[in-house]
Amino acid sequence: MKFRRRFIAGWLVFLLFAACYASGPAISARPAAAEEAAKTAAEQAASGQDVALPNQSGSLKFTVLGDFGTGEKPEYELAAQMAKFYAGFKFEFVITVGDNLYGPERPQDFKLKFEDPYKELLDAGVPFYASLGNHDARAQRDYKLFNLGGKLYYSFKAPKEKVRFFLLDSTYPVPEQIDWLEKELKGSSEDWKIAVFHHPPYSSGGRHGSDLKLRETLEPLFIKYNVSVVFNGHDHFYERIKPQHDIVYFVTGSGGQLAVGDIDRNSNITAKGFDTDQAFMAVEISGDKMYYNAISRTGQVVDSGIITHRIPQ
Amino acid sequence: MTHRIGRLMLLLSVVAGTVSAIAAREAPPANPTESQAVEAFQLHVKEYVALHEKLEATLPHLARKHTPEQLVAHQHALGDLIKEARKDSKPGEFFTPGIKVLVKRILGVVVAGPDGKTVKASIMDENPGLPSLVINERYPASIPLSTMPPQVLKPLPELHGELEYRFIGRRLILLDTEADIILDFTDDILPQ
Repeated sequence: MKFRRRFIAGWLVFLLFAACYASGPAISARPAAAEEAAKTAAEQAASGQDVALPNQSGSLKFTVLGDFGTGEKPEYELAAQMAKFYAGFKFEFVITVGDNLYGPERPQDFKLKFEDPYKELLDAGVPFYASLGNHDARAQRDYKLFNLGGKLYYSFKAPKEKVRFFLLDSTYPVPEQIDWLEKELKGSSEDWKIAVFHHPPYSSGGRHGSDLKLRETLEPLFIKYNVSVVFNGHDHFYERIKPQHDIVYFVTGSGGQLAVGDIDRNSNITAKGFDTDQAFMAVEISGDKMYYNAISRTGQVVDSGIITHRIPQ
Repeated sequence: MTHRIGRLMLLLSVVAGTVSAIAAREAPPANPTESQAVEAFQLHVKEYVALHEKLEATLPHLARKHTPEQLVAHQHALGDLIKEARKDSKPGEFFTPGIKVLVKRILGVVVAGPDGKTVKASIMDENPGLPSLVINERYPASIPLSTMPPQVLKPLPELHGELEYRFIGRRLILLDTEADIILDFTDDILPQ
């Protein structure tokens, strides 16, 4: 009797093991998929995956450019690279993070530092949506090709996908602007809320670095209203910051300028840095995924990855 | 009992200290003299904005699809009209002695605060200054605009229209951003 009980118990244990083994991969696959899906934007961006832009029809495609308006050779060469890239990746518009024109802003400077280098894109009908940096005269708000519509800060809904951009004036963050931003963020129902402005709340630049006072003012709003991505410039290199409060910050300030070796190699906020050549970013949003590539003057992809937008808590 | 009263007093003093620290951060006019100076400043700003609008109305409107040439010409024409209308202006027209005292006190509070160093670093970022400034002249193209931290802008008297405060070195300037003209400036206003 005892033997029979032990035999049955033994069989039951064996069957249980066998069942587990047989269904093993399926069982373990489910939690893995769930974990992947539950990964926050932060975790996914931090992984620094090697990702090609899907270039899907119907997705939103744009590029990001900063600190470019020098009128010098590197600006022209990066602009040529952007135009070349456009041939295979039809981005809808270009976002600028400021310092659109350095030095004097005479009529010939608009031509030399902007209209000529980006002629191919402008001729193809690609609009530029600018934000202003500390080198930009305020009159740029009235310059048609920068699409500021006479304003120093504004927001616009992207023509595709559920995306809204908030372009701010970080050199002069008056209380009205901060109030405006809060109202705009609060009233925005888009899945993707993307902030764009010149001074980086996070940066590993030796020359400028993180603007802590701006961070103190803006970050609580970004956290509260689910901003997923922030594009900045000012420091003259490309840097992807390790996600901060689940928000991914990019410094894209090498559109014409370049501060070689300026990224602090000991910084603990850098996810990926590139300070040896000019770069711009190409971005594609499809549903809840944002794919990004940072592309150098020679056309090399120096960083890439995927971000998933934040979900309202 | 004595302990409780002691604790209550301590708590009250902490609350009072915090409230006064917050009030100091915001640094509103501290006395009737400063309030009067702010009133006079804001009235002057209002009058200037009216003048700016009146002069701008005499210029041809910018075409909807204007060129950079038209944009710059418009700015220069407005600047010339403003210069002519203000040809007798002298430093201190906006930044009167009363306003200077107030601004100096505000900046002193902000810079002496726990974040003073970072606030000052923001202002002085890419801000080398200039040996001299001239009222009614165009903002120098070679000098980037200083960053104005929110903690500095908030307590300063409110401006209207196209006017902005900026620093050039340690000087505070009042800038008409549309005409790109320096309306006034004060020397050595930012604490060392």
